[in-house]
Amino acid sequence: MKNILIRILYCIPFFVGLVSCEVEEYSDLNNAEVSAFENDLNRGDLQDLIGGILYSSRVDLGIYYDDCGVIGREYYRFTSSDPRYTADLLGKENSTLDNNTFYTTRPWEARYRTVKNANLILGFLDNQDLSGQFTNQEINATRGFLQTFIGYELLLNLNMTYDNGIRIDVADENDLGPFVSRDQALNGILAFLDSGASNLASGGSQFPFVLSNGFSGFNTPGSFLQVNHAIAARVSAYLGDYSAVLSHLNNSFFSLGNLNEGVYYNFSEDQTDIVNPLFLAPEGSSAGQARVVQPDFVADADTDDLRLGKVFDLGDDLTLDGLTGNYVLNRYTGTNASIPMIRNEELILLYAEANISTNPGTTVSALNVIRAAAGLGDYSGPTDSASLEDELLNQRRYSLFAEGHRWIDMRRFGRLDELPLDRDGDDVWTQFPIPLTENQ
Amino acid sequence: MKNNNLKFNFLLFFIFFPLIVSAQVMLSGKIMNDKGETVPFANVIEKGTSNGTTSDVNGQFKIEVSSLPATLTFSSIGYSDSEQLVTNANPITASLKESVEALEEIVITGLATSVKRSNSANAVASISAEEITGTTPPPTLDGALYGKFPGAIVSANSGAPGGGLSVKLRGATSIFGNTQPLYIIDGVYVDNSSIAAGLNVVSAAAAGGSASNQDNPSNRIADINPQDIESLEVLKGASAAAIYGSRAAAGVIIITTKKGKAGETKFNFSQSTGWTEAINLLGVRDYTEQRVLDTFGEDAVLDFISARDSGRLVDYEKEVYGEKGFISITNFSMSGGNDKTRFYSGATHNNENGIVKGTGYEKTSLRLNVDHRATDFFKVSLSSNYIYSSADRGFFNNDNSGTTIGIALTATRPWDNLYPNSDGIYPDHPNNSSNPLQTRDLVTNNEKVNRFIVGGTGNLDIYKSDNSNLELILRGGLDFYGLQTRALFPKELQFQKLSNGGLNGVAVQGDTQNKNYNLSAFLVHNYSLDGGTNFRTQAGLTREYFDRNTILITASGLVASESNTDQAANTGVDQTRQKQQDSGFFVQEEVNFNDMLIATVGVRGDKSSNNGDANELYYYPKASLAVNLHEFGFWNENSKWDQFKLRAAYGEAGNFPPFGALFTSYDAYSTDGILGISLINIRGDQNLKSERQKELEFGTDLSFFNNRLSLSGTYYKKTVDDLILRAALEPSTGYRDQFVNAGSLENKGIEIGLNTTPFMSEDFQWDFGVNYFKNTSEITELNVEPFNIGAFGATLGTFRIEEGSSATQIVGIGPNPGPNGFQVWGDAEPDFQMGFNNSIRYKQLQFTMLWQWKKGGDNVNLSALLTDLNGTSHDYDTIDLDPSGQLGNGAYRVSQLGSSAEVFVEDASYLRMREMGLYYTFDSKMLGGILGGTIDAIRIGFSGTNLINIFDYNSYDPEVSNFGANGIFTGVEVTPFPSSKRYLFNFSVNF
Repeated sequence: MKNILIRILYCIPFFVGLVSCEVEEYSDLNNAEVSAFENDLNRGDLQDLIGGILYSSRVDLGIYYDDCGVIGREYYRFTSSDPRYTADLLGKENSTLDNNTFYTTRPWEARYRTVKNANLILGFLDNQDLSGQFTNQEINATRGFLQTFIGYELLLNLNMTYDNGIRIDVADENDLGPFVSRDQALNGILAFLDSGASNLASGGSQFPFVLSNGFSGFNTPGSFLQVNHAIAARVSAYLGDYSAVLSHLNNSFFSLGNLNEGVYYNFSEDQTDIVNPLFLAPEGSSAGQARVVQPDFVADADTDDLRLGKVFDLGDDLTLDGLTGNYVLNRYTGTNASIPMIRNEELILLYAEANISTNPGTTVSALNVIRAAAGLGDYSGPTDSASLEDELLNQRRYSLFAEGHRWIDMRRFGRLDELPLDRDGDDVWTQFPIPLTENQ
Repeated sequence: MKNNNLKFNFLLFFIFFPLIVSAQVMLSGKIMNDKGETVPFANVIEKGTSNGTTSDVNGQFKIEVSSLPATLTFSSIGYSDSEQLVTNANPITASLKESVEALEEIVITGLATSVKRSNSANAVASISAEEITGTTPPPTLDGALYGKFPGAIVSANSGAPGGGLSVKLRGATSIFGNTQPLYIIDGVYVDNSSIAAGLNVVSAAAAGGSASNQDNPSNRIADINPQDIESLEVLKGASAAAIYGSRAAAGVIIITTKKGKAGETKFNFSQSTGWTEAINLLGVRDYTEQRVLDTFGEDAVLDFISARDSGRLVDYEKEVYGEKGFISITNFSMSGGNDKTRFYSGATHNNENGIVKGTGYEKTSLRLNVDHRATDFFKVSLSSNYIYSSADRGFFNNDNSGTTIGIALTATRPWDNLYPNSDGIYPDHPNNSSNPLQTRDLVTNNEKVNRFIVGGTGNLDIYKSDNSNLELILRGGLDFYGLQTRALFPKELQFQKLSNGGLNGVAVQGDTQNKNYNLSAFLVHNYSLDGGTNFRTQAGLTREYFDRNTILITASGLVASESNTDQAANTGVDQTRQKQQDSGFFVQEEVNFNDMLIATVGVRGDKSSNNGDANELYYYPKASLAVNLHEFGFWNENSKWDQFKLRAAYGEAGNFPPFGALFTSYDAYSTDGILGISLINIRGDQNLKSERQKELEFGTDLSFFNNRLSLSGTYYKKTVDDLILRAALEPSTGYRDQFVNAGSLENKGIEIGLNTTPFMSEDFQWDFGVNYFKNTSEITELNVEPFNIGAFGATLGTFRIEEGSSATQIVGIGPNPGPNGFQVWGDAEPDFQMGFNNSIRYKQLQFTMLWQWKKGGDNVNLSALLTDLNGTSHDYDTIDLDPSGQLGNGAYRVSQLGSSAEVFVEDASYLRMREMGLYYTFDSKMLGGILGGTIDAIRIGFSGTNLINIFDYNSYDPEVSNFGANGIFTGVEVTPFPSSKRYLFNFSVNF
């Protein structure tokens, strides 16, 4: 009997462990916490954080392009899994754009996430002594890179909400700035680009980080400054400030040469990367999954136009929800095809646009560069402003097809009513509502 | 007043009273049960005296009584007491009846102790083995809870084999936190997670709307073998579960597995064989040439005519969902032992095929439970369980890639040819990115579990005297499992072909190791006053550890037909670790005044690594009072009133912040080979507090006519404070959501249970039970902006959290929006729910059926819309939705898209025959001549699950959830795996 008692007593220390009831405190076991970078930011950390900007600037980009492409009647998005691409975006019957549905909220959130990622890095740079890790020039270069990105990301959101405006001042998440009007927003974006430009200008010869292939040729502070000006040229055009367009173009990588020179979003099949969101293999097209080109795109084109290579002839019609077409999008030809952020073809067209009222001859010669590249002869139409505007929009339509411009161009020239309606009761939307959760 | 001493007389079994009484009359006999088996170690008492004995291993007993005639009372755990008047010294044969009520007499409510049901101040539901498996073998343990007690909403997420259920007790207990009860099996905290298999990489389900899990995984309580369970107690809310502290807000389900009975070793073998089939297929649209022309154009008409004329129109829904899945459940158990050591061991093998080819569920469960009494003051018990299960769940639910079988079917027309040719090559689907027959035949989606659950308890009587005793209880438990998920999408699939833009094959392998263990020590002190007042004091310490590590490897671009993740062009790894440590103590004092007044007060203190401050103690108090008016002597012995109890209970319990809610972090990604970290779109809060549930319940238990009629009614009101919300943040902050404590939620409800035995005779007995449950919830306080949540946005119907409204209201766009811009279209909360249980026995024939009626409660049903858009809905041309009577239903639903969500919000009421069983039992008397009479009983019968289903819901089953079990926003449907009914033939033999 005693033995048993002793044996029982042996068990007790096991349970005494209970009494020492301190509980271990865990940090986030799965992810790096933001607070980890608030002290001792090193070069490796900065590389990772900049890598995050490259990543998040591509998140839900496909939805943004589909929003612009579908409303701009460049193509329809057929998917058997989500009816809203062919209903809400096309304004089918009573459908309207919802302020809390993915097509409104997701690209908006993702762009502001990039802005937040950038603002956090700017905060890390401002709030600690990094002299041991980085030179002042490197810090300037980083700031310039980030401010340029902030300006670009804000522009994409303003493209969606247009007259509804955006918030420009979002650095303090607990004290957000107000929504500002379109013009204020465009000027605010220019201000980001301007500070970015001056930081890049004093940014030395190297970024303290590497960039993806899409930035090749523009991966130093000096060359990235040209990208900054290219974006500023686009913004100035949206403001109708054509003298600013020309001066920014002058400082950008604009040339009458290689149309594809520029900066690009890269994609890959790596598991933590994103594949090109606009690519669907044409051969795999079905009514359940396709980007079907709005038929007028081919019908309106010159048959010799090389840019018709951006669409693929299926031979048979695809039909969904009362929409039919036999061409599908072929602008991007693989899961890792890159998507331009801004490229020289757009800059040439901006150059043509900025000269319409002042130097129509320059406009025509710039347009002819575009036409020649597309295998077309020189422009032979009238050179009054209205005709040149028509021709400009026509060239923009084919040159920048499926790059997110058509809808925005027709809107800024007040021509949304010229976009084709494919079903009775469809609408062309001017702008997206402000997302519900902005509480406006 | 009943003789309560009897209840305690089983103690005599442990304490051998030497019978040193002067020899007067020696009586002997044996004790049998109603199955003709002997009952060992039963108590035999001479009524009115303390003279007693127990029967031996063979049920034989001897007792000396002072004089004749004498009345002997017989009792044993699990049997109703019986009395016998003895007038002579001839051998006696006493019989004891097995009794469900007798089993219910004790309810386990505390960590260390139990309480007599008649003294319980809470409405604790107890479910016996008979109720769990007696009518029909349930598919999973949680599947056996439907309709059996008031206060629970049990809902299957889909019909995929292998489970996937949610159990919600007393309404909405949390919006973002855990809503599933805590399961404790023989003292072991058992994990009930649903771990996703990573199918999103193919389905892209999270791409178009919600980021919630739509992989449709099973939940791990499905591993537990229902046949092993002796009883199950359901503590529905904080008032009963406060002693479980910070994990108990969603309720606690305490499961006790079968223990060995001393005596002759008993064997049971049972075999159930049958099939499963879809309860409801929708059928094909009624196509005509004109309709085909209108919807699909001229080319399709030619295809339609040629297929029709050559008889090649195929009902693909039936082709995919029309299988009869074979079911086999084999169970073998044995139990026995002596007065020192008892054991129960069971082995079960389930093999079930689903209604879709290639789906199925296989499970093997082995159990050994041993109880050992080392000395008269120390006993140990050990329960151990090994489980292997494998579930093939197919590829269903929402997607954004047209790849799941359900979505593919929506685009399939009867004249499409999807069958493989003679070389086994599947044609590409003409209208969709995947061929559902090819997907069904080639895709693997398997979950495999190896699980070990072991628990041990030691009871040490430190001190014992006539009026007081002190007991130490030590308990430890371990739940360890390895879960493998394997999803393989081979490269020959239509949507994996490179030429179709596919990834050239995808393999997703997940491996999860989960280890929970818990340790606890309790001291229980009983002290009785001579007047009959009893004080029970308990104190204890508990410690729980949880550790889970999931590694999910996703490989695309597979080499040849390899499925290894290294034989691939691209491989990605995702690791998720979850660790938690909890530590707590509790003290409780229970005062029982002659069974008339039973009062309990207690407090639990808990700390956890899951709280913002890991070492801060959170306290959860409780108090309760039960008043047994029938014990006060108002009624005489022969009154019709057997019980009249009034009870009230209050308690608090917690619910931890969701995992990771404390942190604001980055996640790692890459861009063309460059690593980067980008913010996770949810902002955490380091100071987040646990949710606190406060529940007050009161009620009454009545019974009349020798307990042939009993009624129990409970009203409860529970509030959840510090509600943890993943509230929308202005997205321009860079975050979409933030975790905050920002509100309160209230649930009020009524539970009524009525049990009656309208007829009872030797040959015929009818038992009837009905239960009723109604709950309403309201967001009583909300300190953030109202927000929409769940489902797919307001266009299609979504949930909305708004002060003053039900927590589960469904809103959407509509013609008459309220001031918030939305119109309320429904509520997921049912108006009420009822269960009806009938059991009819005629001689050896028994018929039982269980009906469940859910009235009201709405779903967001998007399956119909997806078929409408493809022109394939079964009711496309029926005209009963359009108020103007113009448009067919298909066209009408599509026309509503973007203008009103009304048509997508559907009433999900149903009435079902959940269980039905018809059995014939051959007892030992009838089997006397066979095998020398060694067979005690044979039971044969037929049973079924969900055999009759009545609902007016436009899909397979109103019981569905695209987003799995957790959260309260579950009734959303997107082309699920259809649910099924089961037919089983059962054979069981005891020997």
